[in-house]
Amino acid sequence: MDKFLGTLLLCSWLVRLLVPFFLVTVIYPHDLLEQYSAHSQPSQDFTYHSSVSEVRLVFFATDEHNRSVQELQSDDFAVIDNSWVIRNFRSFTRAGLVKLDVIVLIDSSESVLPRFHQEIADVLELVSQWPWEPGDKVSILSFSGMEVNVVCAGNCRSWFTADRAASLPSGGATPLFDAVMVATNFLTQRRQPDVWPVIILFSDGDDTISKASFKGILKKILANEEQIYTVDLGGPGRPSNGTAILQKMAEDSGGRCVPLSDGPVKILNDVMDDLHSGLLVTYALPDSSSEFHSIRILPTHNLNLQFRCRRGYYYHRSGSARQEDGP
Amino acid sequence: MKQTLSLIFLLCTFPTLSAAQFGIYQHGSVVRMHMGDCMPANHGFMMAFGSPAAPVSQGSCPEYTLVSPNVVYVIVGKMSNQLIPLAEVIDFRLQKNELAVRVDDAKHESKFVIKEMIVRSEWDRIKRHIDEQMKAAEVREAER
Repeated sequence: MDKFLGTLLLCSWLVRLLVPFFLVTVIYPHDLLEQYSAHSQPSQDFTYHSSVSEVRLVFFATDEHNRSVQELQSDDFAVIDNSWVIRNFRSFTRAGLVKLDVIVLIDSSESVLPRFHQEIADVLELVSQWPWEPGDKVSILSFSGMEVNVVCAGNCRSWFTADRAASLPSGGATPLFDAVMVATNFLTQRRQPDVWPVIILFSDGDDTISKASFKGILKKILANEEQIYTVDLGGPGRPSNGTAILQKMAEDSGGRCVPLSDGPVKILNDVMDDLHSGLLVTYALPDSSSEFHSIRILPTHNLNLQFRCRRGYYYHRSGSARQEDGP
Repeated sequence: MKQTLSLIFLLCTFPTLSAAQFGIYQHGSVVRMHMGDCMPANHGFMMAFGSPAAPVSQGSCPEYTLVSPNVVYVIVGKMSNQLIPLAEVIDFRLQKNELAVRVDDAKHESKFVIKEMIVRSEWDRIKRHIDEQMKAAEVREAER
């Protein structure tokens, strides 16, 4: 009897000892154990990759009097992305566009010579009056004949004077599209995420000799995410083909087109207004089989609100997330 | 004179007011919008059997996909600038073969030509199928 009781006590003791061990090995998650063992071993360097498809869109809102809207809320507008209506945004803030990389393109070809002096005077005034910030860059390129000339790169605030402007080559054909292509490449080469690339183009819009096509540069502008402000040097009167080209370039990029008669102050004010009133919205990339996504912004309640943004963006499925537009 | 003017005003505003008051509006949400071809105002039955069609508006007109609980409508504006406020939920009603959308802030209705109608369950099924195909294409693309 004593022997039986002793065996029973021994069994009971063994069960008490083994049950917790059994429970730990069965219930404890296998991957946690693995993780624990991984921690105990010398650490290895792992890199985790994840693609996040998000669209970033800078836009401008105005009321029926063409004044910028200060109190816009995220439920006041919807984005139409490749025909899909998007109302759920990941973020909505002021764009905070602070640093600028500006290229001023001066048309000095034969067709604008009658207004060339006014054009140069306007560029000089624009560069001198602009409230440049320390990190801002301004470059000036001129184009005529077969060439695009870099007048000054990045430091034109002090460099570009009336004397130097007088020595610019002038006359000949108009390689407008080639000049825009050079400017977009120029900006792309030194692109930084917190810098807003802007092209201010002074021209009559009549290209006569470029190798690049109009369609090609429109695609380039959208792909490179630059904003173009055009100053129409064409004569007053009925709208010309050149005016239509300048308007199309400006509208597609989310910029504006103004006639030369408005003067440099108007151009300056337009760009400065945009800098202060720019809004940034981000949203998840909608499904689409096409590389190009057309964009439009429309009001959700007040149909008097007007929105201006670039016409679209390119998304390359094989690549990583592509920013649509950025300051 | 004042009474006559008041009566005219009441008669003009009655359809919208009564529709709102009697709650005959249905609710829906616009999920798609693009600029497409304009449609003649009297298409469909009237176009086939009635007098010669009204001239089609030149250029493009906005086309919307309006999803309601039971039916999905594809509607087309009569002019290029005929916009629907794209709020999460909009009020609309069917009126004489057209779809009248209530424009909240303007307190009036905007009428659209109905291009297509489809039962909601069928539309959901087609959309699911398209979504699956898109995802499969994405996976194939990623595997390359």
